[in-house]
Amino acid sequence: MGRKTAAFVLSLFVAPVISSTSNSSDSKPRFSIAGERYHEDLIIQPLRDGRVISTFTFTTLLEGVSPRDPWELETPAQHYTLFPLTLGQILREYSITELHLSLNAGKWNYDNWGYPEDPSVSTGAELWAWMADGGPMSIDERWTSLRNALAGLFCASLGSLDSRRTSSPYSAFPLSSVSSLKISFQYALRHATLPSEHVCTENLTPFLKLLPCKSHTGLARLLNPQRLFDADWHGLGVHVLSTDRGLELRLGVQAVLDPVRESGGKRRDWSFQSLFDRSIDAACPVSSRSTARVVIPDDDGYRLSPELLLGDKSMAIYDLTSQVPLDISMLWPNEHPFPFPPTHTGPLAPLSIKRALHGFSQTHGVLSVALSNNEYGDITIGYLETLPALVTLWMHTIKAEVRGTQRDDLISDISYHPSLLQSNGRYGPSVLQVRLTVPAKSALRLSIDITKTFLKYTEHPPDAMRGWDLPPAVLFPVLIDGPVKYMVNDSFVDGIGTRDRHRTIPHRMYTPTLLVDLPTPDFSMPYNVIILSCTLVTLIFGSIFNLLTRKWAIVKVEE
Amino acid sequence: MESSSFLLLMSCRLLLAFTPIPLTNDLQRDHQLSSPLTSYSRLKEGLWFYQHDVDPYAGGVFRHSPLLLSLFSAVLPPVPVVWALSDMVGAWALVRIWRARQRVNKGPSSRDSLVAAAYLLNPYLLLPSLALSTSTFENAFVLLALMLASDGRRSPALLALAFSTHLSVSTFLLVLPVLMLLVTSSVSQLASPHPFTGSTWTAYQYAGEFAAYWLVLFGAASVMAGSGWGWVHETWGASLTLPDLTPNPGLWWYFFTEMFDHFRPFFLMVFSVHLVIYILPICIKFQHDALYASFLLVGILGIFKAYLSLADPGLFLSMFVLFPEVYPYLRYPIVTTLLHTHASLLLPIFHALWVTEGRGNANFYYAASLVMGVAGGAGVVDACFAGLRIAMGDIAQGERGKWEVVQE
Repeated sequence: MGRKTAAFVLSLFVAPVISSTSNSSDSKPRFSIAGERYHEDLIIQPLRDGRVISTFTFTTLLEGVSPRDPWELETPAQHYTLFPLTLGQILREYSITELHLSLNAGKWNYDNWGYPEDPSVSTGAELWAWMADGGPMSIDERWTSLRNALAGLFCASLGSLDSRRTSSPYSAFPLSSVSSLKISFQYALRHATLPSEHVCTENLTPFLKLLPCKSHTGLARLLNPQRLFDADWHGLGVHVLSTDRGLELRLGVQAVLDPVRESGGKRRDWSFQSLFDRSIDAACPVSSRSTARVVIPDDDGYRLSPELLLGDKSMAIYDLTSQVPLDISMLWPNEHPFPFPPTHTGPLAPLSIKRALHGFSQTHGVLSVALSNNEYGDITIGYLETLPALVTLWMHTIKAEVRGTQRDDLISDISYHPSLLQSNGRYGPSVLQVRLTVPAKSALRLSIDITKTFLKYTEHPPDAMRGWDLPPAVLFPVLIDGPVKYMVNDSFVDGIGTRDRHRTIPHRMYTPTLLVDLPTPDFSMPYNVIILSCTLVTLIFGSIFNLLTRKWAIVKVEE
Repeated sequence: MESSSFLLLMSCRLLLAFTPIPLTNDLQRDHQLSSPLTSYSRLKEGLWFYQHDVDPYAGGVFRHSPLLLSLFSAVLPPVPVVWALSDMVGAWALVRIWRARQRVNKGPSSRDSLVAAAYLLNPYLLLPSLALSTSTFENAFVLLALMLASDGRRSPALLALAFSTHLSVSTFLLVLPVLMLLVTSSVSQLASPHPFTGSTWTAYQYAGEFAAYWLVLFGAASVMAGSGWGWVHETWGASLTLPDLTPNPGLWWYFFTEMFDHFRPFFLMVFSVHLVIYILPICIKFQHDALYASFLLVGILGIFKAYLSLADPGLFLSMFVLFPEVYPYLRYPIVTTLLHTHASLLLPIFHALWVTEGRGNANFYYAASLVMGVAGGAGVVDACFAGLRIAMGDIAQGERGKWEVVQE
């Protein structure tokens, strides 16, 4: 009897599963879901030093959807088929217009790797969000809740992005699309970075859960954590944009892998199998477009397989829907071994950035930024420095040097906000924004004196001797011959006529982070210090009052 | 009064302002010579903020009075010669106090240049002045107030006192003895104590006048600061709440670095009230000699002030020169001198070991600052003893060994 019942119960559970799988396999994968579109893209770019940049982009578009009006109190039911519900709930709850979260590890080497596809390559965690003002919750309350919700969603320490690290640098992080938004709203920006945050598997797992096909099929199949987090540089990005077409979610993974290291310094050949230890067996059935693109290197002698069907001289394009299973590989059969390019081949980015803290003392130092212009024309950029209150900038010492001569005329539009005391008793970050002109083919050295703060012993983190990470500085494009203006959708709002003579940079660039060692007190001493200081106070107080209150007398000294 | 050596000293100090001094940057950054409330680089930063339309009192960097801000932004730039002139005014005031106390009316006195040298050549005062610390101005105003009060010039004395309490809020300790000094004489009465002779009613009137001056300065500063009362919190409030824990030779910084968070407000109150406790007992006991009372209170400030710099004990040590009558009754002047030598040598060394070399830790410097505290305490206690002991007189030569003066 028991066996019969068990079989019945089993059939109850199994039958729907079987029928559902048969249903989905019946319907062809090329369907489209009303109001939602999903497509994925992979760009693989072999670099001259043998490394390979792979950029995964998974885009979900909610057509015709705009961010929630903060005044709207009733939230209608949310039904998504492809768009991740967990993220959708967060966006709706705090009526986020635009959201950018990146979790990266490593230092992006602009000189050798060029500009990244996704410009958010700040070391550690970076979160910024634009929100429409109004409604019952203030911007700061929504910001706090947003970062706590995202911290839970991505298992990252985003809760630490508190008021000590939050600022609103409008010019460097402009709103991506103004045209589709309601003009009646005031939009506010909150931005924070946490350079000490490290990205790892526990962040990738929840990230993959946001994808409609998880990591079972499609390009996400290649996201093998063991290979991804072994890369020289790796990062996850979450971008939510409000575009004219609707709400767009762009999930991205970037990694700079090094096949030369894998092969023991001999070869730069790569394939999906060698890079990710996996290949793509099937396309994601719900994706409307699914492509893998390979950037063709300048040098000859490579062999690409499978053979090129689409694309041109600069880019090979593979369509996953027609070409599965797919394992792209690129070989250089004539290289034995791979000849590393000479180290001083020209940098790939127009600007080379160096940023350092000079000075050996634990109290004083000089923050120095060297920007080398690699072009034959002046480059004008915005420079944004956001420093936590651990470090005080001495603005009267700011100076710029070119080839050893002081050139303060190259600094303009200085805007400085000292760190302000917040309502919770903590100091916010100090924000310095300047506009710099780097002369052609020369290096500009910007230097500012700093001092390091003496903290209470309870304010130091565990392992205080390690020091504190300072967030990266940001270089951002500016409008030439005019005040710093917003850049919208990668093009300036107005006045582009003079861009030929002077130039700016196409995207944001991040400098490396810094480590600052603060002077530390002795953490084992609180009782001793209280006792010793109080003893001294009492000793002096007691002696003086003893002298002041006792009567004088002349006594006979007994022999 | 202008003896040639006095003039020579003065001109040397003035010349020093135009001499390029090596290590000027290091002097200006030295934590012993200037505190966050008096530092020159903070003054320059405040001026930069002011000129670039940033609120100078935002960000906890600038903690000087708005009066200094407007002086150095509108009237004259912060050049070393201002500090030299301020030092010269201080030395001149000290000489005048000395002459008023000794009733030297005309003609140069032999000790004038000695008194001036005690001020100008005191390393505790000269080095902060070379580091362009604004404590130089605070000290000059204290001495001016005492000088004018000794001369019995009421309104200027009260105005100088209002300036000095405005620049450094802890100088409020000196208000009572200066008022007493104004209504009594500055001539040494230590050997013959007697009840307070001045008119209390006049003293009240003077206190009213002082309050009026102080309010005028407060109003002027508020107008100049412009944006609300933020400057009060940043300047005077800093002495009470100690927001900046930069090390100094005083007792506050390490105590409140290491303090448990929930006891912080309580001990801040204790340390502030502790300073005030000394005023009444010292003024009552030395009601016959108000100048000596203010001298002792300057000594107390030189030990227990929040944001102490070497200029504060320096003023006390320089003022010792005014009271030669108590020298024979000092019990352990050599010990005090050695303690000061010890502290002033150890402080820079341990400071460098901790924050520059990274070899020592904060306890080294804390230990040196405790020695500094002991040295200051030894000086004040000894001065207090000698000021009281002098009234008992000497035991005749033949009777020594048979009788002894003690306290019950």
